[in-house]
Amino acid sequence: MASSGAAGPFWRAAGMTYVSYSNKCASMVRSCLKEPHRTEALEREKVHFSISKWVDGKPEKPSIREGTGGD
Amino acid sequence: MAMAALRREGRRFAGSITAPRPMPDIRSALISEEQVPLGVRSISTQIVRNRMKSVRNIQKITKAMKMVAASKLRAIQTRAENSRGLWQPFTALLGDTPGVEVKKNVIVTISSDKGPEKEVKYVILGEKAKAQLMRDSKKDIELCITELQKNPLNYTQVAVLADDILKNVEFDALRIVFNKFQSVVAFLPTMSTVLSPEVVEREAEAGGTLGALDSYEIEGGETKGEILQNLAEFQFSCVMFNAVLENACSEQGARMSAMDSSSRNAGDMLDRLTIFYNRTRQASITTELIEIISGASALEG
Repeated sequence: MASSGAAGPFWRAAGMTYVSYSNKCASMVRSCLKEPHRTEALEREKVHFSISKWVDGKPEKPSIREGTGGD
Repeated sequence: MAMAALRREGRRFAGSITAPRPMPDIRSALISEEQVPLGVRSISTQIVRNRMKSVRNIQKITKAMKMVAASKLRAIQTRAENSRGLWQPFTALLGDTPGVEVKKNVIVTISSDKGPEKEVKYVILGEKAKAQLMRDSKKDIELCITELQKNPLNYTQVAVLADDILKNVEFDALRIVFNKFQSVVAFLPTMSTVLSPEVVEREAEAGGTLGALDSYEIEGGETKGEILQNLAEFQFSCVMFNAVLENACSEQGARMSAMDSSSRNAGDMLDRLTIFYNRTRQASITTELIEIISGASALEG
């Protein structure tokens, strides 16, 4: 994933995408809030979906991802 | 819950219709197929009354569903319009190139609960798209994601999804297909394209909107390639967020107009049934009157 030979930013070297990096930063900012804004913000962070990878036209067992977006 | 109530009413309604026939004939149809024991002299209006009751209930239920859909639509419409501002700068900067020729195309189809050697892979969001695509392109499906409706739509969920897709699928160009919300009765299926950084480089050399990228100065310690990659991922996430919201809008709009037309239909049916009911009632009263009067005049005469 490194394009010009340099290691790039630390999170890229750790295997995260820009999207997951910004997500983690956002959840950190959200946890800095005081109540009651904090519970409101944490409501906005909930994640739930079920994902299944298909191989050769057959679905594998679906796995459910949930929890907060901070991974 | 509303659907279960609708089904109950439908069964009750269907039970009182013995055969589907056009309205003008329905009078004779009902009367001839009624189970009338011998010796009963009056025409029973019970059947019609039952039908009217169930149609009225159906109308109430569909009206309620319409209100629910309308309120959900209002809430989500503002969010969708606000989220449009997320990716518009991207289009201004990088241009939207649906006609680009790439080797690996990944199509992300979003749906309510999805050249020379071109490979097309599908990532499906939602059950409806899954049923459709399974029929045609079973071999090309890469990922299938369902059960998205549990939480109200937020950016975090879409970001996690985007992250999953980016990690699992190799792509040259991502094309996101969704229903763009124009108005309550009109939705356009649209496709937006996100290019991978390598393709952006290639197109930049070819000139056009992307070629103007080089005239921008890059600050900070990152190289152009890294910036392009970050941009591409973020663009994908934003576009997907907007797409999911617009799709939800279109779904609620469609539901609202469907419920609206069905309540109007139920209202029409109710009117026709009421007229028929009154006519039957009046006919039976007239018949009784005639019998009484003829009986009385027979006694006198």
